[in-house]
Formats: sequence, C-alpha cells, structure tokens
Amino acid sequence: MKSPNPLSVSQPHPSAGEPRSSRQYTPKVNTKGLYSRAVRESFVKLDPRIMVKNPVMFVVWVGTIITAVTTIAPNLFGAVPGQNQRLYNGLITLILFFTVVFANFAEAVAEGRGKAQADALRATRSDTIARKLLPNGAEQEVPSTTLRKGDQVKVIAGDVIPADGEVIAGVASVDESAITGESAPVLKEPGSDVASSVTGGTRILSDELTIRITADPGQGFIDRMIALVEGAERSKTPNEIALTVLLAGLTLIFLVVVAMIPPIANYRGNPVSIATLISLLVALIPTTIGGLLSAIGIAGMDRVAQFNVIATSGRAVEACGDVNTLILDKTGTITLGNRLAEEFIPVNGYSLIEVARVALASSVFDQTPEGKSIVRLAKQLGATVDFDETQAEGIEFTAKTRMSGTTLPDRAEVRKGAVDAIKGFVRSRGGKLTPELDTAYERVSRLGGTPLAVCQDGVIYGVIYLKDMVKPGIRERFDQLRRMGIRTIMLTGDNRITAGVIAQEAGVDDFIAEATPEDKISVIQAEQAENKIVAMTGDGTNDAPALAQANVGVAMNSGTQAAKEAANMVDLDSDPTKLIDIVTIGKQLLITRGALTTFSIANDISKYFAIIPAMFTAAGLASLNIMGLATPQSAILSALIFNALIIPALIPLALKGVKFRPLSADQLLQRNVYIYGVGGIIAPFIGIKIIDLIISAVGLA
Amino acid sequence: MMQLNSLTKEQLTELALVLRSQRHRPLPLLLFLALCFNLVLAPAVLAATGGTVSRLNAYAIGVLGLLTFAMVIYLLVVMLQPQRF
Repeated sequence: MKSPNPLSVSQPHPSAGEPRSSRQYTPKVNTKGLYSRAVRESFVKLDPRIMVKNPVMFVVWVGTIITAVTTIAPNLFGAVPGQNQRLYNGLITLILFFTVVFANFAEAVAEGRGKAQADALRATRSDTIARKLLPNGAEQEVPSTTLRKGDQVKVIAGDVIPADGEVIAGVASVDESAITGESAPVLKEPGSDVASSVTGGTRILSDELTIRITADPGQGFIDRMIALVEGAERSKTPNEIALTVLLAGLTLIFLVVVAMIPPIANYRGNPVSIATLISLLVALIPTTIGGLLSAIGIAGMDRVAQFNVIATSGRAVEACGDVNTLILDKTGTITLGNRLAEEFIPVNGYSLIEVARVALASSVFDQTPEGKSIVRLAKQLGATVDFDETQAEGIEFTAKTRMSGTTLPDRAEVRKGAVDAIKGFVRSRGGKLTPELDTAYERVSRLGGTPLAVCQDGVIYGVIYLKDMVKPGIRERFDQLRRMGIRTIMLTGDNRITAGVIAQEAGVDDFIAEATPEDKISVIQAEQAENKIVAMTGDGTNDAPALAQANVGVAMNSGTQAAKEAANMVDLDSDPTKLIDIVTIGKQLLITRGALTTFSIANDISKYFAIIPAMFTAAGLASLNIMGLATPQSAILSALIFNALIIPALIPLALKGVKFRPLSADQLLQRNVYIYGVGGIIAPFIGIKIIDLIISAVGLA
Repeated sequence: MMQLNSLTKEQLTELALVLRSQRHRPLPLLLFLALCFNLVLAPAVLAATGGTVSRLNAYAIGVLGLLTFAMVIYLLVVMLQPQRF
C-alpha cells in the first residue's frame, strides 16, 4: 500500500544553477547612482593611508606628486632641454592623476555593487517583535535584536522568523524567498537532519513552530551574507597575496632600472627629465593589473553570493577552483532525504495488519519524519495503538544500536532498525531468524530504499520499506562535474545494495557503503594524502567532522546547525551540485587575474618602443621609433594616455570575469596566452599610434 | 650645553611628551630627520655633479634620491610582509 505524496522537502529549486538576479522573488539590487557614488569614492580613496595598500598604484601616486612639483618648477632637478616643459609636465601630471583615479574607480564600482547587493539583502530583514518563551512557559513580546543563542521563541502563521534557529516543536511551511529567491514553501519540522533549521528573515506561512535561537544578532546567515558582499571583513586571499608580491617585485625591478638611467644618460650627453623618467617607470610597472586586482576579487565574492552561497572566506572560493574530488553524503544531499514509509513486508507468516500494529507500536514515540510516516502508513492500514502510552517507554535511536522502539507496559520490547541490528537483538532474545527476512531486505535494497526490520522481543514480524528519491536533475550535473575533471564519491551509512542502486541512478563515480562518521574522515584524509583538494557536501550533524576536515566544506542550508558551522560555505538552495558553480567562480577568479597580469606585462613591449626612442633620440636610438610617432613628447604622452585608458576599458572584464570554458588546463592556457599575451603585445601598438595621431592633430605636443 | 641647562623643568617635560607621542605617529619625525639628513647629502650631490647644478637643484636631487630609496624599502616590505597590506 502506498503512502500519499508528501510535501516536497529540500528539493533542488527549479532555477538551481541560475544566479539570484534571475529569480522571481529575489529582492532586486538597486544600481541607481552607483557610478556617481563610485566617482566620488575614487577621489576619497586618494588618501595616502588607503593608497599605500596598493604598491603599484602608490608608486604612480608618488610619481604624480613629483611631476606636479616639476610642473610648478620645471628646472628644480636641473636644467632640462626642450620647450614647453611646464605644459608637458602638466599634461603628464594630469594623465598620471587620472591613472590613479581610474584604478580607484574600478575598486569603487566593485565595492558599490557589493554594497547595493548588501542593501537589497538588508531590506529583507526587519526588526520584528518575537514571542519569547520564558522558562515558566509564559510568552513575552521582545524585539528580535534582544534574542540570544539558546532563547526559545514561538512563531505563528504570518510571522517573520526573528533569527536563525532550530525547530524543536511543531510543523509548519515556511516561505524562504528572502534568502533563496524562490517562493515555493518548505516544510520545517523538528528532529530531522533535513528540515529542522530555519533562517532569520523568512516568513512562516501556516501552523506554528517553537524555535531555539542558534545565532546572536548580527551573526545570522543573512548578516554573514551581507558582510561577505559588502567586503567589510574582506582580507586578501593567498592567491591575491602571491600576486601582490609578484607585482611589488616587478615594480621594484623597474624602479631600480629607471633610477639607474640618469647617470648613464648624463654620461652619454643625453640628459633625461625627471618627468620623462617617471613616465617611463609608470608605463613599465604593471598598472593595469595593479589597478584591477582588488576589483576582480570583490566581484568574485559578489558572484558567489549571486549563486546563493554564503562563503566565510575568499580562500575557500579560491580553493574550489582546484578541487579534484567531491565527497557527498547520500541522504538529504543526493536524495531528497525525507525517507517515507512506502510499504510493510510481512515475514514469518504474519499478516499485514499484524506487521502494521507492531510497526505502529515501535514508532509511537518517534518524532522523526520517518517515524511519523510509519505511524501514518500503519494507521492507514487499520492498525491502532492497543496499549497505554503513558505506561510505555520510548527508546531513542542511537548510531551505536541503530535501533529505536518502545518498551510496552507489559515489558515486551518492540524495536525497529537496521536489519543486522535487529537480527542481533532477536538472537540475543533467543529468537530464530528466517531467510524471508534476507529476501525482503534484498528486495527493498534493490529498489534503492532503506529496509528497516521490525520485531517484538525475539520474533521478527517484517520489513518496513523506506523510500528515498534521488533529487531530480542530479545526473546531468554530475556529468558536468566529471567533464570538469572532478571525481565524485558518495558516502553513506546504508547497506551496499541500496548504496549501489542510488549511486547508479545518480551517476556518481564511486561509492562507499556502511560508512561511519569516522570512515568519512578517513576517506577525505586518504585523498588529501595523495595531494588532492577535497570538497565535501553534507547536511547532518554526523557530517560535521568530515566537513571540517575537507579543504572545501559545503553545507546544505536545510541541514543542521552543526554542519553549517563546520563547513566553510553554506548553500542556501541545498543543491549538492552547487559546487559546479562555485568551482567555476573559483577558476574564473584565478584565470581572470592571470589573464590581466599577462596582458599588463605584455603591454610593456610596445611602451618600450614608444618611450625609449623618444628618450634617447640624441643617443641615436631614434631608429627604434617603429610606430612612427610624431615627436618624442607626443610619443611619451600617447604611451601614458594608453596606460591610463586601458584600466577603465578593462573594468567590465574584471567585474564579469574571463568566461570559463570547460577545457583542459593546457587548452585553457594556450587560448589565454594567445588572447591576452599576443593580444597584449599587439593592441598597444595600435592604441598608442591612434592616440599619437590625435595628439598631433590637436597640437598638444 | 649651557643652553640645555637653562631649559626649565616644564620645557623638558613638554619635549619628553612630544617625543613620546612620536612613537605612535613616527612619520612626521622621520620626514624631519630625512630632510635634515638631506643637508648632509646635498653637498655630496653638488660635488658629484661637478658644480653644474645649483644648490637648490642639489637639495632637490637629494630629496628625490631619499624618496626613491624609501620607495625601494617600501616595496621590499610589501614583498616580505604582504599580509600587512
């Protein structure tokens, strides 16, 4: 006999894989005034205490001040040949000033978009009045900001849940569109790994819940998401730090080289002005990537939030880009997790109604969804409770015994649990086992379900078939992961046959059955010992140690608080294949930085050909002027103008990221070296020439 | 020496206070010391250029040299302790 279809719990949302902005109910981000605010911020960021944090742009900033001084007093550092020195120095000062402003603008735009997203998230929160439950059972209305961890509140239909918490009583449907952007209600009930945690800011639609608060004000998930996108607590990731060291090193080399030029130039009878030397320095140091580096990082974190993932650090997102192996829990992660009783299978000659009676007796104190579904199915089949519940004792499930049940008033012990655990129990009570049990067990396992044996004292009555469904659309997503070179392993405490069937249906590369929490950690450690980067997704409390051990831990939002605390990312959509999107973003971050660094350095070649011939005309290097630039002054100005303009031109690319293509590492490298390396060499030749033509036409130099 | 002796106790206390405050904001003191050091450096620059530049130019080149040196130190600090930035 089949049970009725349940309300769906933790199904991947239909728009899984799409960013927040395209979902119907997401609070829309208001970008009005973003650019004017960014322009204002660009000038505010000229403060030296802020500029000093970016070594490349700080060097440009110092250079701007020096050239500004030479504009006022052109002969301050010695007599310089040439006319119109003031105008020339002034133009250089202006261009260098705008180079710094453009770099600040890039960062300000990225931060502005993050702040706009944070404001949209803040709008979903409001200080609500919560019904706090006092120890004596009375209710007190308090502002939600006064709630602390451990407090208990009651929420009824229509209320906004005041803070993050765990459901301890009641069943209700909740609208989570504030955090997921989807309005399909989600069932919340206690005692379940899958459905017991609630997030502050979501609205309860029906019935009522008693919730224990698990986060202090300002520490809830929406607050953490706001902090992430605002970049308030952003610190440089390891990759950014490494790149900063590289850029500082390059800047240092060029600084030393340019500082060595004056004595040699003077010796050759070709003195070079300080303004020209500073122009050469600024043209050579990697200002493009120096200006765009922080914007790339901030935009990357915003993209993570767009996919409804709360990451606690940028480091975790970057680590995702290099993930080799993904380890997944089965129940609640790959499957829907709301295992429901589908059928009772009698053994030992008992009738269906007798099995139903015993199953009902074993589940009467069971508050889990599985237990409640067994009670529902048994009552449907006509079974009733034929003992005084107040005289009976409920026995709770433990991972050790793998059974739960009831001790009846007449001391009879009714138990249900894993088949081998029940076999042991029956043997210990002097009962006999039957091969029918194994047949039923195999039949249920082959269907991908979980078999629970049910017995009273030493007699086995039958098997309960708990049905669990693989989340729809998962097979295709695992194929995508495989194409990205990531190996998927499913870990479950279930038996081998069930695990095999589910693994086959979901399409994972490998599975490990009958795994204990310790097994999960040792699998991760074994992979890490082979120098692999391991990601783990899970939702239950027993997944917490493994989530903490993995390089990247992604907890489902529908999971327990312990899992969410142990992980370094939480997926608000509870989609185990969300890792695909995070891996893409992680790889994109690294690729974008690499591409723009390559472009920045490749640009130097054409700038050499522009500035060196212009500097050393008297020393006979004029023949190197292959671009045919009009005058030495126009050549230097053109190179600097190009250097300045390339920064805002590349802002859109920095914010959007280089498009990720599922190619192998070698193919990607080749492709990007051609576009950004060879392109970076050729593009400035054309750009500088065009600017030079314009400058000569206008008559600036 | 006689001038130092003639400083009153109040003036000495004030001087000590100023110097203590520089521990929290060393930059103005460092700048001042650098400019003073430049007074030593400028004649060296003048000598090196063989007198072709004026004294003001020599002083300015000295400042520029010190500034360049400071930038080199700053970039070395960034390379060795990037997490500070």
